[in-house]
Amino acid sequence: MTLRQKILLLATIPLILAVAAISLLVNRQADSLATREIALFEETMLAAKKAELLNYISLAQTSIDHLTSIPVNSSAEDVIEAQVRAKQILNSLTFGEDGYFFVYDRAGTNLVHPKQSWRVGENYWDLKDKDGRLVIQDLIAAGDAGGGFTRYAWEQPSRGDVTDKIGYAVMVEPWGWMLGTGIYIDDVVNQAAKTRAVADSQIRETFILISAIALGAVIIVFATGVVINIRESRMADAKLQALAERVVDAQEEERGRVARELHDSISQILVSVKFMLQSARRGPKTAESLGKAEDNLNLAIQEVRRISHDLRPGLLDDLGLSRALRNLGEEFAARTGIHVDISTTAFKNLMADDVKTTLYRIAQEALTNIERHAQAERVELGVSHGPAGVVLVINDDGAGFDQAKLAASRKPVGIGLRNMQERLTRHRGRLTIDSGPQGTRVRAWLPREVLQSGADPLGAQVSGAA
Amino acid sequence: MTSTIRIIIADDHPLVLEGVRACLEGYEHIEVLGTATTGRAALELARETRPDIAMLDINMPEMNGLDATELFREELPDTRLLILSMHDDREYISSALSAGARGYILKDVPAEEMIAAIEAIHRGGTYFSAGLGNVFARLREDPAEETVLTTREQTILLCLADGKANKMIARELDISVRTVETHRKNLKRKLGISSTAGLTRYVIENGLGQGD
Repeated sequence: MTLRQKILLLATIPLILAVAAISLLVNRQADSLATREIALFEETMLAAKKAELLNYISLAQTSIDHLTSIPVNSSAEDVIEAQVRAKQILNSLTFGEDGYFFVYDRAGTNLVHPKQSWRVGENYWDLKDKDGRLVIQDLIAAGDAGGGFTRYAWEQPSRGDVTDKIGYAVMVEPWGWMLGTGIYIDDVVNQAAKTRAVADSQIRETFILISAIALGAVIIVFATGVVINIRESRMADAKLQALAERVVDAQEEERGRVARELHDSISQILVSVKFMLQSARRGPKTAESLGKAEDNLNLAIQEVRRISHDLRPGLLDDLGLSRALRNLGEEFAARTGIHVDISTTAFKNLMADDVKTTLYRIAQEALTNIERHAQAERVELGVSHGPAGVVLVINDDGAGFDQAKLAASRKPVGIGLRNMQERLTRHRGRLTIDSGPQGTRVRAWLPREVLQSGADPLGAQVSGAA
Repeated sequence: MTSTIRIIIADDHPLVLEGVRACLEGYEHIEVLGTATTGRAALELARETRPDIAMLDINMPEMNGLDATELFREELPDTRLLILSMHDDREYISSALSAGARGYILKDVPAEEMIAAIEAIHRGGTYFSAGLGNVFARLREDPAEETVLTTREQTILLCLADGKANKMIARELDISVRTVETHRKNLKRKLGISSTAGLTRYVIENGLGQGD
């Protein structure tokens, strides 16, 4: 997993978790709010219904009051007459579509039922509704308690199906009648269900809204990541391009210099040699011309040696890094008059060609910088290796420089250092430069793995044993 | 000159070989036994011809002239080595010396000087091109020079640090036990170390060898 992916995950996971937690909480709260609201609504509605029932019952009681209150000593016929009259009155009393009064005796036999007259005379003591409630027994018990509410399911006359209703029953004492009425509460139940449905859909909408916001946020995070990434890679590209240009510039400059030197010195010398040889063939002073030609050829040889040495020191390949560095330091001392302390190792051929070339170039670059800028009096040049790796140091006691400024500059010095750093990084090494008023310390480090002690041209040649 | 000086020449440039050969052919007391273009071929040729002097270039493929010089010293101690080089750098000269060369001349010296060098070495002396004499003189005073190991010495040092005995090293490198012993003495002298354990420690301190 790349760093970028990690950062994106780090940004999005908490966001998603937070959104999930929030939506869960909101969901729960909305749900409990809806439940409470519905309960309150039901309670209020039922209270209203109950008040209504009480009114109806008291109306019914009042309407048969004159019959139930006939004197105690009345004849049995009068009592029966009064009961028949009371039944007629109760049968005719209705309210609303499904409102009516019913009467049962203590044994559970129906006496009055205006909407379902076929029930009259039947016994319903053991009648249970669809929820298993003993409807008639409950009503009689409520009546015996001096009047009370019960809840049960009953067939609703206007609709023809069984729905919930609240009943209220009282006892008509002298006759042992249980007088009751009921009110269907399907509208309350329906209203509660509707409210529940509305609340649920609101909860769902809220959830969808939160999810959409979360999705938007995640998309924004990713988009920002992508944009940043594109910008960074563009900037890196631009930097790389600038560096490549500078390297190419430096290369071109170097090639131009070599071409000029070849043309200015070698080819001029060779031309002169050619003329001298021609004159030797024709002229009188043959020996003299040949001698001059020979001298000039020697000059050409020296020039080639100098140029090729500048380009790449053969010492590095033939004699190894230690001797090449010694040579470099001694030449530097001779050219600049700066004192150089050189310390190298007793070994050679320990590192691959590109590794030792890199170290050599770093030393070369550092010495060039010292010569150009440092005004140093003493330089330490040393290479050593040990269990901790290979270390090359070039220290001077000169003026020092501003590293940041140098690294940013377009001058070859800056390029050189950066180039060196890149070359070292390729071998998992490090270049550190400390510069201050007391001088500059350049330190190149490479891991121990670059040492290859097994490589020996003689041993490999003389025997197969490794 | 009473006897002819028998010579082989090794250089990876055929033109140079031809030139040097042409140069020497005018002198009757010098006989060119053969030429080679690599260090290894020069050794082969010398095993057959047993020359008095081998003239070796430094830059050669398949073993350079300096490594070849070391092997000549071990295997053919009677053949004297004259390095013929393009390089006038002090480090080259000191390397040639420590490898066991008796002389060092630049390729652009006049023929007369080349002959002078051959004759001097044949007499048992040393010869360095005019102008290189200074370098040679300074080399003798440089204490650092003493600590630089030759290729062979380095190989033997690493073998010793590996715990190998003289005999085993001799067998592996196909040289005599006495030669190994000589190298071992030189190692101790150069590094200022008196014991084999000290040599092993030195190798490990330098981040080399098997022991971590």
